[in-house]
Amino acid sequence: MEYSNQEIPEGINYSRTHPLKEFFILTFGVLGSLLVLFFVLTLLADKIAHLIPFEYEKDMNAFVDATDWPDPEMQSYMQGLADSLSAGMDLPDGMEISVHYNDSDIVNAYATLGGNVVFYKGLLEKMPGENALAMVMAHEIAHVKSRHPIRSLGKGVVLMIVVSMVSSSVGDAMVGNVVGNTGVMALLSFSRSHEEEADELAIEQLTRLYGHVRGAEDLFKAIKESSDALSGYELPFLKTHPDIDSRIERIEALSTRQEGATLTPLPDSYSGWLE
Amino acid sequence: MEFILFISLLALGYGFGRYAENAHFKSIRERERTLLHIPAVATKKADASLQPRETMLVSGSVVVSVDYFKRFIASLRNIVGGRVTSYETLLDRARREAVLRMKQQAANMGASIIFNVKLETASISQGQGDSIGSVEVLAYGTAFID
Repeated sequence: MEYSNQEIPEGINYSRTHPLKEFFILTFGVLGSLLVLFFVLTLLADKIAHLIPFEYEKDMNAFVDATDWPDPEMQSYMQGLADSLSAGMDLPDGMEISVHYNDSDIVNAYATLGGNVVFYKGLLEKMPGENALAMVMAHEIAHVKSRHPIRSLGKGVVLMIVVSMVSSSVGDAMVGNVVGNTGVMALLSFSRSHEEEADELAIEQLTRLYGHVRGAEDLFKAIKESSDALSGYELPFLKTHPDIDSRIERIEALSTRQEGATLTPLPDSYSGWLE
Repeated sequence: MEFILFISLLALGYGFGRYAENAHFKSIRERERTLLHIPAVATKKADASLQPRETMLVSGSVVVSVDYFKRFIASLRNIVGGRVTSYETLLDRARREAVLRMKQQAANMGASIIFNVKLETASISQGQGDSIGSVEVLAYGTAFID
């Protein structure tokens, strides 16, 4: 008997598909559909989160990171401003705003669960006038009114559950990371609509209280300068807040028709409070 | 930053992996041709007319690792299922290389044929989480030396 081997024919035991083609189909197919899944689920979470009674939020105080007010007068001034702004906002029954202070130099303010609004010293120091302060305050109150904190929390929890379910079933740390980052993108692009909504409401209240929106853009300009100096370059897509230039533009567009409107100064003792 | 690192690892994996694969396939085909005169067959019992002076166990083994790019594609495949094409070429190369090394050993001994050829595959990184790192392919058989 004769024994022999032939040359091995190519392309039977492996596919001749170009690896890059496979890569693009899989990446866009899988990550794309995951993105859609994340988006739909967070959208649902966002839509039903407001059904959680506000009363429950009040018990979740872990998110408030505040220090003592430097001066009780400052507290009553800030709380008074919040009250006069929220008076026009038609807040639902049982929803109260409490203003807090944090002596850190961070240039920021945030609204969180239970109607709590926290102002950082870093931001308060940059306030050019009461109109700007009221703009930030109204913006944060608008977040509370629209239940944004609980909606964001709901979205975050849902997203975290889905991302960890998907990435653990993938069973690969690397792809898990990619899946996680895809999830963060779905979440970020979402919160921006909250910010824009809050800006709209805030502008409404400013107009009601002062008759104009002038002075608010000064704050954004000041923030822009400081963030330019600090972080330099940021991808607009990855920022939670709407592009600061477009915010300045929007407010300026509104206020150009309001030439001659008088700006309200901060109280005389304001700068003393922060020293 | 993480994203840039990830992209560069992917590009590195693709570039080097692709280059190494093409070079390897080329070398495999050449060596297969030169070693065609030693058939490797799976038959257990040799024809009675063959009367070798000596028989000898010959073996060839290969350990290959998968590159970052292939691994990424394969993990995405895990979600949707289907042919893991990125591993197919890898294992095809490993099998053929193992057979070639076995044949080379037989050729060095002056053998004319290898009977009862068997192939075995083992995952090296088994147990380290679920990561699929390297595989070993072992080919072995009985060489007939005249």
